[in-house]
Amino acid sequence: MRERILFNLLQVATVMVFAPLVSGVISRLKEIIQSKRGPSIFQPYRDLWKLFHKDEVISEQSSWIFRFTPYLAFVTPIFVTLLIPVLTTYPLFFAFMGDMLGGGFVLSLGGFFATLAAVDTANPYGPVGASRTRMVAFLAEPVFMIVFFTVSFVAGSTIPYIVQQRWVTPLANFFEPSHVLLMLAFVMLILAETGRIPVDNPTGHFELAMIDESKSLEYSGPGLALMKWGGSMKMFVLLCIFLNVLVTPWGLAHEQTLAAVVLAIPLVLLKIFCFVLLLVVIESSLSKLRLFRIAEFLGAAFITSVAAMISQLFAS
Amino acid sequence: MTDPNVIVWLHNLNALVGGLFLLVSFGIVGTRQVQGCLRLFVALSVLLALSAFLLSALYRDWHLGVIGVVDIGTKAIVIPWVLRRALRGEVFTRREVTQALNIPTALLIAMVLAIAAYFVAKPLLAVGCELAAGVNLPIGLAGLLIGGLTAALRREAVPLFLGLLAMENSAFFAGIGIAPEMPLIAEVAIAFDVLILVFVVGVLTRTVHEHIGTTEVGELTALREEPRR
Amino acid sequence: MSLILVPLIPLAAVLISLVPLGKRFAPAVTLVAGIATFVLALRESLRVVSDHQVSAIAGWVELDGMGATLLLLNAFVGATAALYSWGYIGAHGYEARRVRSYYAHFNLFVFSLVLVPVLAQPAFVWIAIEFTSLFSVLLVAFDNTHAALEAAWKYIALMFAGAAIALLGFFILFWAQQGAGGGHYSWGGLRAIAQQMPTVLVMAAFLLVMVGLGVKVGFVPMHTWLPDAHSQAPSPVCALLSGVKTTNSLYVILRMGSLLPLATVQPWMEVVGLISVAVASFLLLQVRDYKRLFAFSTVEHMGIIFVAVGLGAPGGGYGAMLQMVSHSLTKSFCFFAAGAALLVVGTREIASVRGLIRTSPVAGAALLFGALAIGGAPPFAVFLSEFFIFRAGVAQQHYFVTALLVIFIIVAFFGILLHVNRMVFGRPAENPAPARAHAVLPRTCVLTLILAAIPVLVLGVYQPRWLHALLTLAASNLNPLAPP
Repeated sequence: MRERILFNLLQVATVMVFAPLVSGVISRLKEIIQSKRGPSIFQPYRDLWKLFHKDEVISEQSSWIFRFTPYLAFVTPIFVTLLIPVLTTYPLFFAFMGDMLGGGFVLSLGGFFATLAAVDTANPYGPVGASRTRMVAFLAEPVFMIVFFTVSFVAGSTIPYIVQQRWVTPLANFFEPSHVLLMLAFVMLILAETGRIPVDNPTGHFELAMIDESKSLEYSGPGLALMKWGGSMKMFVLLCIFLNVLVTPWGLAHEQTLAAVVLAIPLVLLKIFCFVLLLVVIESSLSKLRLFRIAEFLGAAFITSVAAMISQLFAS
Repeated sequence: MTDPNVIVWLHNLNALVGGLFLLVSFGIVGTRQVQGCLRLFVALSVLLALSAFLLSALYRDWHLGVIGVVDIGTKAIVIPWVLRRALRGEVFTRREVTQALNIPTALLIAMVLAIAAYFVAKPLLAVGCELAAGVNLPIGLAGLLIGGLTAALRREAVPLFLGLLAMENSAFFAGIGIAPEMPLIAEVAIAFDVLILVFVVGVLTRTVHEHIGTTEVGELTALREEPRR
Repeated sequence: MSLILVPLIPLAAVLISLVPLGKRFAPAVTLVAGIATFVLALRESLRVVSDHQVSAIAGWVELDGMGATLLLLNAFVGATAALYSWGYIGAHGYEARRVRSYYAHFNLFVFSLVLVPVLAQPAFVWIAIEFTSLFSVLLVAFDNTHAALEAAWKYIALMFAGAAIALLGFFILFWAQQGAGGGHYSWGGLRAIAQQMPTVLVMAAFLLVMVGLGVKVGFVPMHTWLPDAHSQAPSPVCALLSGVKTTNSLYVILRMGSLLPLATVQPWMEVVGLISVAVASFLLLQVRDYKRLFAFSTVEHMGIIFVAVGLGAPGGGYGAMLQMVSHSLTKSFCFFAAGAALLVVGTREIASVRGLIRTSPVAGAALLFGALAIGGAPPFAVFLSEFFIFRAGVAQQHYFVTALLVIFIIVAFFGILLHVNRMVFGRPAENPAPARAHAVLPRTCVLTLILAAIPVLVLGVYQPRWLHALLTLAASNLNPLAPP
């Protein structure tokens, strides 16, 4: 029992501690691909440290939502980590609190409040970015739904731990058409939800073109630190869902010992870094889509997920 | 090699190829670029050949392997070459800026057609008796309908024609699943017939381009019964 | 063995007509090839009448009653069109290279048409039907005008879409046959095993082929390419297209229909046929181009044939075959007449043509003759065949269908005569079209008109015994399966 609590805490700690590292690695890799040196991979930690020691400036026109949102944006990914397999293949004791749909809702709760906060200030760029974020989100919703429905149709459940078993044994199941197409759809979804190219430029500074970055435009000091940290944790969590449930459900701890769980940490990080490599290549080779083409991109993701479901119908 | 494990693997791989085939058919409806459409068509043909190879291993019939080779030869290599020779290079850099229906709507209609194909194929599969037909027939039928949709919606000559060729590819995809014992010579002759078709259409499109000046053949609507303006 | 020669002659003519030996060489070669093909086809048909089947390669190249009828029609119209082309193409004054290209394509087209009834394996028949479309596309676009190119493009696009659908139908048919126990994949083999094949599969195959090849036949609503293509092509090619190419595709659909029991297939045939007849006869009324007029009439007649087969044995099948024969002969004649009128007047618009009988008596008389014949007036062949169909309909007690058919045929007759009457008689317009140099028609065109008119007239009153025997044999091949 005590070990279970420990593993849970370890899971949360992994996400909290290593999320900024993943962001740092992505930035460094992107710069390297462009033949530059790039910042150190630990730079996000230094940024967070610096921001926590600064004063916060808050507009007088803003309401409680503005003050409340950073905490929400920080906490919602942590809630989701309690539900998904990060380090272990067996469910920990919060796992049945909510399934993948619940996890999706919790994440979008954070996104919703972030949008509200962006509108809350009187800055004109905030609502512009907020409305665009909502557009991307509502276009991505059907894809999420169909992905989850197909996964539950195939695996017979929406609890991630149970789903994960389906595609490990036997190995031939890995190559099922529904599986491959779901992976494709989910990659497109990750690109949309975390605001990567081709949907949005995460390193852009031009406010008129921002979609996801606009949510942290008005924040400063600890608020900004929490928003940034929360954002990178959200990405880490999405990657965990993708990699540990859908793509490579290997490398997670099978036994219930501390040693196995601690061993799982570097394996999970290794998987994430491999995927990050792919992500960086995609980002560097595509260009950002025009705003109304995002609907076509997400339409393609939707069609891919529907094709996954249809293939599953045909095969059964 | 009647090892059931191998059969399961081949089945799953064939189903995967089928799923990708369906996805690429959707892609042909939804791509704007002429160049992109051509690449997707080559991918479609390669997937057809892959399915032929997998089915030839599954049914232990070398005829299907020959069909796969012929298919790659004609559709993946010769047809793009013929099209590029027959048409001027700049035709391939075009994009369709305006379309009959916008892309997300076209994709949705394609999805509905794919589901309809599944329901149409169900009673047929209940009666028939082949091993892999469960995947090939519905996907072939879906590809047929989606190719028809492409041909109906596209205005540029090359994507329209590629939609028609995709229809034929899909019919073949269904055919190798349900009729693997069809005499080899018939299927090879069909492949060469498609080649002649491409050649003829290439000549025709070039003539259209020279005399009318555009390859937006969807805009040619002068012949009708209403009084001329 | 001589059956194989029949398609080989036009194929040889393709190569020979490409040889640049002077202006008259290519047309002469084509004409000789056309006549030789017709003579051979006649011989083979007579052998079918006596032997009930001729086969050169068993299961692959065979000829039975229905095939023989179609082969005869293909060869006859091919020969008359070759004769007509001589004068028609010559009158236009194209350069030598273009003329040779025309004749090479023409021979290729005739080769593909003759190939269809001779082959017995459905996949190869599909290929032959594809060839008939492919080799006629560049003929349709021959004029290189904006309208001709548009017509050719629409033609090839719809054709190929239909062909892909039909291909799937043939695959499903093969699947059905394998499921029923195998046997040779030929028309004969399929008919033999027809009772054992699962109906749902054969029905699916029939529907796919009906839709897919129905595009080529011109069933409504897939007929949109037909008026364009059949009016823009040069007139001898139009005669081949309307007269025999659509009939070839209908032949394949009917072969598929013969594999199913009558009760299953009858509602489809009757409904689709009636819709085509109805829409075509009403669209006829508002055409502005006299070649399109005849093209719509083709759609109508294809619908009539389809309804006739749907009426069932024995009268329906016989009536359908007779209608096929009379339609092909009459429609090719109509297009020859239209071509003559085009040569004289220079425009395809009905509104610009008035008093043709005064400008060129031959063209005017021919056009009137053709219009009366195709509309179904006695004593022409079409009247006799339509009468047979009505009689079969009444005998089978399909009163409603027969009544509708009568009404639509009368509407079409009225429409055709309305337009042609105005063209042939009627006061000349205020500013007449400039007098063309070809107010005197080429001699070969006139000769063709006379030659083609003879069977149209003769078959209306007298039927040679061998023809009757051939048509009865064809009807037995064609009728859907009787209920057990």
